[in-house]
Formats: sequence, C-alpha cells, structure tokens
Amino acid sequence: MPEVDFQGSKFVVDEDGFIDSYENWSEGWVQYVKTQEGIDELNEEHRKVITMLREYYEKNGIAPMVRVLSKVTGFKLKHIYELFPSGPGKGACKMAGLPKPTGCV
Amino acid sequence: MPEGTLCNKKTVNTVEELHALLADKSGKVYYDEMNSLEIDRAALKATLQKTCKSRIRTWLEICAHCGMCADSCFFYMANNRDPRQVPSYKIQSTLGQIVKRNGDVDNAFMQMVMDTAWGKCTCCNRCGMYCPFGIDMGIMFGYLRGLCFSQGFVPWELKIGSGMHRIYQAQMDVTSEDWVDTCQWMAEENEEDWPGLEIPVDKENADIMYTVNAREPKHYPEDLAEAAILFHLAGENWTVPSVGWEETSLAMFAGDWDACRIQVQSVYDAMERLKPKRMVVTECGHAYRATVIEGPYWAGLKSGKTPVPSFHYVEWVAEALRTGKLKIDPAKRIKEPVTYQDSCNYIRNAGLKECAREIMSYIAEDFREMSPCKEHNFCCGGGGGMNGLGRYREQRNIGLKVKRDQILATGAKLVISPCHNCWDAIRDMEEIYHVGIRWSFLKPILLKMVIVPDHLKPDE
Repeated sequence: MPEVDFQGSKFVVDEDGFIDSYENWSEGWVQYVKTQEGIDELNEEHRKVITMLREYYEKNGIAPMVRVLSKVTGFKLKHIYELFPSGPGKGACKMAGLPKPTGCV
Repeated sequence: MPEGTLCNKKTVNTVEELHALLADKSGKVYYDEMNSLEIDRAALKATLQKTCKSRIRTWLEICAHCGMCADSCFFYMANNRDPRQVPSYKIQSTLGQIVKRNGDVDNAFMQMVMDTAWGKCTCCNRCGMYCPFGIDMGIMFGYLRGLCFSQGFVPWELKIGSGMHRIYQAQMDVTSEDWVDTCQWMAEENEEDWPGLEIPVDKENADIMYTVNAREPKHYPEDLAEAAILFHLAGENWTVPSVGWEETSLAMFAGDWDACRIQVQSVYDAMERLKPKRMVVTECGHAYRATVIEGPYWAGLKSGKTPVPSFHYVEWVAEALRTGKLKIDPAKRIKEPVTYQDSCNYIRNAGLKECAREIMSYIAEDFREMSPCKEHNFCCGGGGGMNGLGRYREQRNIGLKVKRDQILATGAKLVISPCHNCWDAIRDMEEIYHVGIRWSFLKPILLKMVIVPDHLKPDE
C-alpha cells in the first residue's frame, strides 16, 4: 500500500487515500487530511465531528448516517458541509481515521 | 472443502457476518482466504446446465473473432489497445472456457475470471452495439459474475454490498426508521426557506412514489431535500414509502441473484401497498436498470414490467419543464459551455437520450455534446460497481482517461451527471488528473434557476 510523508510522520494509506488502520490514527493524520481537504483552520466543531465519528465507529464498526452525526453534534447539514466541504462520508470520515464507506459513495 | 470464515460460498444474512467482513479493512484476510477457496465443480456444472441456456451458448459459439468489438471498449482504448482487453477475448477466455470445460476449473483460473469480470468490464454493454452478430458481452459478464458469486469469487466490497441488501433491503445499513427519520429531518431543516415543505411518507394513491439510492439518506441527505423542494415547487402529489424506498442493487453488481430478487420485491411491494399512479427514481443509473429494466424478470413478473409505470428522474424533469410545472428563469440559465454525461444504464440501456437533450435545451445556453454521445457514449469509467472496488482502483483510474479526454474535447468545464456512479467517477477523475472539471446532478442546478411562485416564497 502507498505511503504518505507528512511533517516527519509516515502513514500507510489505501488506494483511496484513507488511513490503513483505525489504530494508526493520530493528530498528525488529522493535520495531513486538513491540508488535503483544503480546510484552513481546525476548530472545536471539527473536533466534535471527529470525536463523534470515532466513538460511533468504535461501537458500531461502521460510519454513522449523517442524521445521527447531526443529532449528536447538534449541527445542521449545511453546517457540516461548511466544516467538511467534501462531505461527511468522505472528508470527515477520512480525517477521523475511518475506512472509506463501502457501497456507492 | 476448505472455506474461509470471510471468503466462502455462503451469502451474508446476519449483522454479525456483515460486521466481520467490515472489520477486515480492505478485505486483507478475505483475499488471503480466497487463495485457498476450492471450487465446487459439481455445483458449477449443475448451475451451467440449469442456467446457461441457448442464447449464451450460441453467442459464445458464433463469435467470429472479427475484433469489431475492440475499439468499442474504453478499457481497450485506455490500455494502448492491449489485445487482452478486447471484449470477445475477455469473455471467451473466461466464460467461454468455463463452458467448454464444463466447470472443470481451478482456483487460479477463477481468480483470473473474477479479476476480468469486475476489473476489466463495467457491463456498460457498449460492445454489444458494435458486434455484427449482436453478441452482448455485458450481458454475458453479468451472467459470469453470478457464476463467480456462487463459488465465492466476488470482490470483498460486493460481498458486503449484497449482504446489506439481504439484511436491510438497502445497499447500506439504513433501516426503515432511519430513513423516515431522515425524511422528517430534511423537511424540518428546509421548512424555513420553503414554507409548507413536506416529505409525505406512505401516502396512498399519490401521483408519484419517489425512490432513492441508500447513499442519499446515509451520506448525502441534501439530495433528498432537493428532490422534495422541486416536487414542492412543481405542485406534485407525491410520497415516499417507509419500506421499499431503495432502488439500487449492489446485488446486481455482485451477481447475487437471490438478493436482487429480495431487493426489487421490496420496491414492488411498496407499489402494490401504496398504489401510486407512477414511480419516479432519483438521479441514479443502475437503480433504474435494476428496478425498472431487469427487476421484473428477477421478481418473476410475466409482463416484464414494474407493477406501476416507472420513470427515471430525467423523464420527470423533462416533463416538468415541458408542461411548465417547473419554469426556468431565462437570466439564470447556464451561460458557460456545459456537457452531459450519458449514463449507460438509462441512456444506452433504456433509450432516454432525448429527455436529457430536452432538459439541456431549457437550462443551458451553450450545450456541448461529447463525442461519441447518447447511446454511443463511453461508460464514465466506474460503472458496474467498479468505483467501489479497491482491488481494481488502478485499472479504474486508467480507464477514466477516456472519459477525461472526451470531456476536455468539448471545451466544457462543467459536466451534468444525473447518475451517482458517473458523478463519483467524474469527481474521482478530477481528484486524480486535476483537469479543472466541475460536476453536478440536475437537482442543485435546477434549484439555482427555477422560478419560485409567489405563494411558495417565505414571508419577508
């Protein structure tokens, strides 16, 4: 699998650029995806989304529906897109260290 | 007979089995296990005897190896005219050999078959149009996928996908409760901007029963909101079913025919239950093909038709524009050059090319056709499930070059793509090749230019 080098850290990624393993996730990975996704500044709201995604994944082994993400964080859909322009299923999951959702995504 | 815990001949029918597969990131264990998977030759032989009928046997026999199909295949074009990518070669060296050997094949051969059936063909059916004998290799590859599936040789993601259909009657883990909740949520979140907006659930005798792709409630609920707003503006009497709302079929891509039947039956049951005048499906190509074109046969409907007349979203949009239900503000039409991605599944395989052109005549001032176009258009590069298969990512990315060059030749930087699969392929193409292309479904484009009647505007 390909590797990416970012600020002295190495990450192994899959063919779609998602991290190889949930366990290998780190703050360095978050910063790397931030640059990939064109996000200027990570704020508390980004962190809240990432934390929620990771907690849900740990419990359920799959990414949540956007509806669940919105309920737990209290963010409206429009706001989730403001935080993650490439969408919750793609950019946010990638940053949180989740695998790329399977199916037509 | 060695069977893996993840890679085996069994179908996925429980949440536990599904989660075990999902936990195997990228299918590492799954593909390792595949190396030890034995062929059940007796079963394969019996399946051939039962299902490989005269049409396919005749096609395999009458192929004259003339090579007329070669240039029709975008994989052949994108791979420097590699003879191993000629459609007739691809099918003769796989299905042709299985039939010739009457199922006497081994593991390495079946892995090669799998890698051909999913990694070198998107079942776009373009080659069938250029064969002088009308041999349709897309149809044969679809059949071949079924043989592979029955022996456990199916890409990891599609084993998951068909399992999802069996468990949730949806390609993703979205239950009926999740779906109805998302409908309510989308109506509530948009009510302020669109007073009176509703997403009516389980309304009987509506004019339209609307069905979607599970990715919409799971990952892209804005699509559902946009559909609701456009129906609202058009004054449609519409509904969504609480059960039987999902039209897609990863089971079709996987070759899991039983799951195909289970899935499509859920939609037909909703039609029977709610008795709408007609059904309209979202901007998805393969969903339409699965439920409207192939589905009646899976469900054993002798008419070959869905229980109520069924339409693709582009048919509804063309009609709404033609009849004035939706009116476009001429000042807001697309000014820049724009092109249209003809989806194989509802243009080539269902003949809806004129609907697409009619829509473009209302919304665009400088519409540029791709060359070739309409039923001759090339696959987006990611059809037949290929977009979602990590094992064939490299092959997919090479194949995308044909579509990239076709788009660039139009001079347009905007591509209207009313098919999720094409939309994803064009998005990924831009991520990979950085050619400065934008892409869109019809719904967000229409919402930017539609005239909102005064009585539907929010109070100031």
